[in-house]
Amino acid sequence: METFSLFLLNSVIIYYVITKNKPVGSTVLNVKNLVVVYGSKIAVNNITFSIRHGEIFGLLGPNGAGKTSTLNAIEGLIKPQSGRLLLNGINIEQHSSTAKANMGVQLQATSFQSELTINQIVKLYAGLYSMKLSNTDIIESLRLIGLEDEAGKPFKKLSGGQQQRLSLYIANIHSPLLLLLDEPTSGLDPQSRRQLWDRIEHNRQNGGSILITTHSMEEAEAVCDRVAIIDNGKIIAIDTPKDLIKKHENDPNVRKISRGKITLEDVFISLTGGEIRE
Amino acid sequence: MNNISAKSLRYLTPLLKADFLVLLKNKRSLFISIITPLYIIFITDTKRSGQSKLGSAVFLITLAITTGLLATSITGYALTVARDRERGVFQRLRVTPAPTWIIMSSRLLIQVLANLIITIIVLIIGSRVHHLSFSASEYIWTLLVAILAGAVFLSIGQALVGLIKSATTVNAVGSLTYVALLLSGLLGPSGVLGTTFQNISKWTPVGVIITVFQSTLHQTVWNGHAWLSLLTCFGYIIFFTSIGIIWFQWDTGN
Repeated sequence: METFSLFLLNSVIIYYVITKNKPVGSTVLNVKNLVVVYGSKIAVNNITFSIRHGEIFGLLGPNGAGKTSTLNAIEGLIKPQSGRLLLNGINIEQHSSTAKANMGVQLQATSFQSELTINQIVKLYAGLYSMKLSNTDIIESLRLIGLEDEAGKPFKKLSGGQQQRLSLYIANIHSPLLLLLDEPTSGLDPQSRRQLWDRIEHNRQNGGSILITTHSMEEAEAVCDRVAIIDNGKIIAIDTPKDLIKKHENDPNVRKISRGKITLEDVFISLTGGEIRE
Repeated sequence: MNNISAKSLRYLTPLLKADFLVLLKNKRSLFISIITPLYIIFITDTKRSGQSKLGSAVFLITLAITTGLLATSITGYALTVARDRERGVFQRLRVTPAPTWIIMSSRLLIQVLANLIITIIVLIIGSRVHHLSFSASEYIWTLLVAILAGAVFLSIGQALVGLIKSATTVNAVGSLTYVALLLSGLLGPSGVLGTTFQNISKWTPVGVIITVFQSTLHQTVWNGHAWLSLLTCFGYIIFFTSIGIIWFQWDTGN
């Protein structure tokens, strides 16, 4: 009886913390001293950052810098060697299922069962987030992303842009506290990219927070409130795009790289080096 | 604990629905799993003496069932898992609140269902074609053995996807494994390839399954060899499942 009461109390506290306690400006994600190791390789080396409610936070870095490993640790896909990950105060490792129920994820590669139709995919993921959607609800929501006519089509028959739109919609289907987007615009044409930025902005206006990894500095400048530049598993700079540019505009290295007006890309290349990463 | 299980089980329904739809749409595997056993049933003639060149009518029916279960588990289950892993389907599911054991259980339960359907179809058609009649208890026991046989073959499929990352290689190795096991069951007992091969084939996964099936359908021949075959089935399940779980990776690391 005592155990049950404690369990009940614990559940009520977790529910309250997750669903009610989200004032704008408070921390939604807290990453503290995160270390991710693959064999002898340190992919993420003791990084610390936090994301506030309603904030769009960009994680920038060259190939192999540790962006996806950081995201994978937050998503629960890999076990970090050490560090603490808190989603709205809830330990992600200890309460994995609760945390995942409050996260939306778009992975680098769109990845649904290719045999299933859009309608069936939406039903599957709605079910996994304990949501009940009628066929009318599904068609209505697909209309918002311009896929209502494709509801009966198998996933494999969609174009790249349509697959990305569906993927973002599924990531957002349960209105999560935190949306994690891993290079969401890679391979998209400019029109689709702009549409996606609008959706990301729309998401923020609805109170959601977003963690986005990207190679596109234009994208980071356009959508992110703050960015962290990560290289060799360490965060080497963290600030708003505007302030990062301001801080480094007089740096001789940045001036040397720049082709006119100083951009975030100039600062990024100056901080991470000009050599090509594999 | 009960609370956790109940919460976890609610994720099972949408997964089962989706996996069942994928199974139905996987026409190649379904075709091989149903057509091959029925082909064995129809091409063999036991009208005159109750025997064909391959063996008795009961042997032919058990061989047909085993062939179907082998196909659905190795060319079906293993290939679907390898392909979905390569496409990142598992990673996408793993970032939802559904626990990983529920994701895998759903796949396995759908395979068990497919195995039972194949067994019933082959048993009914096989008994008609070869003029045999089975009692209700024989049907029930055969279905239970089908679950055991499915477990043996699914564990082999799981070992394949545990040891091999690429879906193309799983397909190639799976097809070879299927043919090798099928031939061991088809040719081994006949003695065509000599007594050594005949003796070895009795203890291959297909050999032990056929023995258990035959003994179940003819309960009078449930002897020491049948018991040993049953034990060997469990040995195979433990061995291959261990390999399949220890070496299994959720993504291909691309």
